[in-house]
Amino acid sequence: MKKIGLVLLYCFILCLSAYFYSAHLHDSTAEAHQRLLPVKIRTVKPGTDEKDLQQLVQNANRSGDILSIAGMQHSQGGQTVYPDGIMVDMKPYNQILEVDEDAKTVTVQSGATWADIQEAVNPYGLSLKVSQSQNIFTIGGSLSVNAHGLDIRHGGLSDTVLSMRVLTADGEIRNLSPTENKELFYAIIGGYGLFGIILDATFQLTEDELYVTETQSMDFQDYPAYFKEQVKAKPEAKMHLARLSIAPESLLEEMYAITYETAPDQSKLPEHKQLKTENLVAVPKFFLGLSRINDAGKETFWKTQKTYTEGIDGKLVSRNNVMRSDSEFMEYDNSRKTEVLQEYFVPVDEFESYIPELKTVLEAHPDFNLLNVTVRYVDQNDNAVLSYAKEDMFSLVLLINQGTDPESMADTREVVQEMIDVTLAHHGSYYLPYFGYPTKSQMQKAYPRTNEFFQLKDRYDPDHRFKNLFYEEYRP
Amino acid sequence: MNYNRFIYYQGTIGMASSMIFPFYILLIKNVGNSYAQFGWAYGLFALTAALCYPLIGKYADRVGDKTLLSVYSWGMAVLLLCFPLATEVYHVYILQVLMGVLGAVQKNSEKTVLARYVTKEMAGTQIGRYHVWTSIAAAIAVIATGYLVDFLTIATIFYIASLVYAWSGMQLMKSDKIEAEV
Repeated sequence: MKKIGLVLLYCFILCLSAYFYSAHLHDSTAEAHQRLLPVKIRTVKPGTDEKDLQQLVQNANRSGDILSIAGMQHSQGGQTVYPDGIMVDMKPYNQILEVDEDAKTVTVQSGATWADIQEAVNPYGLSLKVSQSQNIFTIGGSLSVNAHGLDIRHGGLSDTVLSMRVLTADGEIRNLSPTENKELFYAIIGGYGLFGIILDATFQLTEDELYVTETQSMDFQDYPAYFKEQVKAKPEAKMHLARLSIAPESLLEEMYAITYETAPDQSKLPEHKQLKTENLVAVPKFFLGLSRINDAGKETFWKTQKTYTEGIDGKLVSRNNVMRSDSEFMEYDNSRKTEVLQEYFVPVDEFESYIPELKTVLEAHPDFNLLNVTVRYVDQNDNAVLSYAKEDMFSLVLLINQGTDPESMADTREVVQEMIDVTLAHHGSYYLPYFGYPTKSQMQKAYPRTNEFFQLKDRYDPDHRFKNLFYEEYRP
Repeated sequence: MNYNRFIYYQGTIGMASSMIFPFYILLIKNVGNSYAQFGWAYGLFALTAALCYPLIGKYADRVGDKTLLSVYSWGMAVLLLCFPLATEVYHVYILQVLMGVLGAVQKNSEKTVLARYVTKEMAGTQIGRYHVWTSIAAAIAVIATGYLVDFLTIATIFYIASLVYAWSGMQLMKSDKIEAEV
């Protein structure tokens, strides 16, 4: 009798535990409190073939489910998630459909990464015209954030897309190009997944080339002139990147620039053609780790970066390899802190007056943990409805280490909003894929066509089948 | 309880404990924040065990090994049901302290049973055989659980392990009956 009682007691506790556990599981606010955006989505559906995806959209139209679209999910403003929605995971939809050697084009499914394309086109001696500095992202994701990279000669990413096929909210598949369905084409590039699912895209390629690396360090005041005269005006300069110091002693004063110029002797290209893989991740990871800790760490990190850059001066590298920058060393695993990015665009001629003001903001917030600032160049380009390159601009990407508790988030919000105000005062703009710290009015100022963007959204997706947190945060 | 039954029992609880211990760290990772907290969680476990051993040792001789093993089995079965509900690091600390007590009960009893059953002349062979079976059970459990966590949630393995402990507790009762019959 005693034993039956014991077993029954156990069963009772088991049921109790299961009940509380499932109640806790369904309480979506309780979970994942350490992330910046705790979101509970209902299901993740992998995109595997076109018919399935079409079916998925049609089913959602019937059931009223909200769809969000995800690639690598490195956007930080909730662009890939919606509470209790269905997340369409496009990563499995990743075939390279065609490489046309003569026409120099590649057609790929949207879940493929830039690395996948590089591997497919490198054997033909071809290369992307524009891609991100890191190649880990999916095509669909990069198009949806209208990404840019190191290339200074081929305009924006949208200029290199010949056509794409998109599954829209009505469940139909449409061909889009700069001439066909033009309006939707330029809404979807930089459309943050709100207009439909990009199925595949055809990109114009260029030839792979051998570059010689030119490095130069300087003060920030000299940089715009250096860039105009030594980089932009030099036809052989093809790709460019610079870094601003984050070390306290030279904060936003010292800079170094890396330019990739067409090598006079291309005969050595075959030796450098092989695609490199990430190596020695531990070394930069260690220095970046030091930089997170304190000011001395930042000084060491900056000095190491400078020494390393001097060391690569004159080195030969293929175009495809320049487009394969390392990112693994930035991977950061700490559940109480996280790393966020910010990116500001400022007209080339404003740079000299802008940097000291940005520095003033940073110095007023000594606890703001800035780890890295890279500078790139973007050509004026207003193809996309949400275009950030209103003029020829420098883009500054800031890597920030912050806590995930509410106070730390509030602190970061304050600094970010101040930095954006400074940027806007210099006729600049900011990049939208990052955490929703900016205010709605800051978005309106940075992107004058914001209202048009949301009107287009209403027109092409009247039932709001595609939604995400970015949309919820910034819609009118 | 005869010796074969004891090996069977130890195999069962060995399976259950190997299911949770290596993967348990995943739960702490979800709940806790730092390596220091990992250290504390395991340190508290060892420390409570240390404090309990003298007491348990004394009781083992008085109440018998089987009663203590029952306490362990049912104690673990119930305790594991609390794990999925842990959301704060201090919950984990409390659970670790209780696990420390029960762990000490098990370790001590395991050794006292062996000491009582194993014949001195054949101790090597017998203890060797004992370890073969308990280790095989543990290995199977660890590998299988790895797949389980991939497919199910971390909480599921606590429930499954709890059921295995409950099963082992019932086995002890059954052996009670057999002994009574004999």
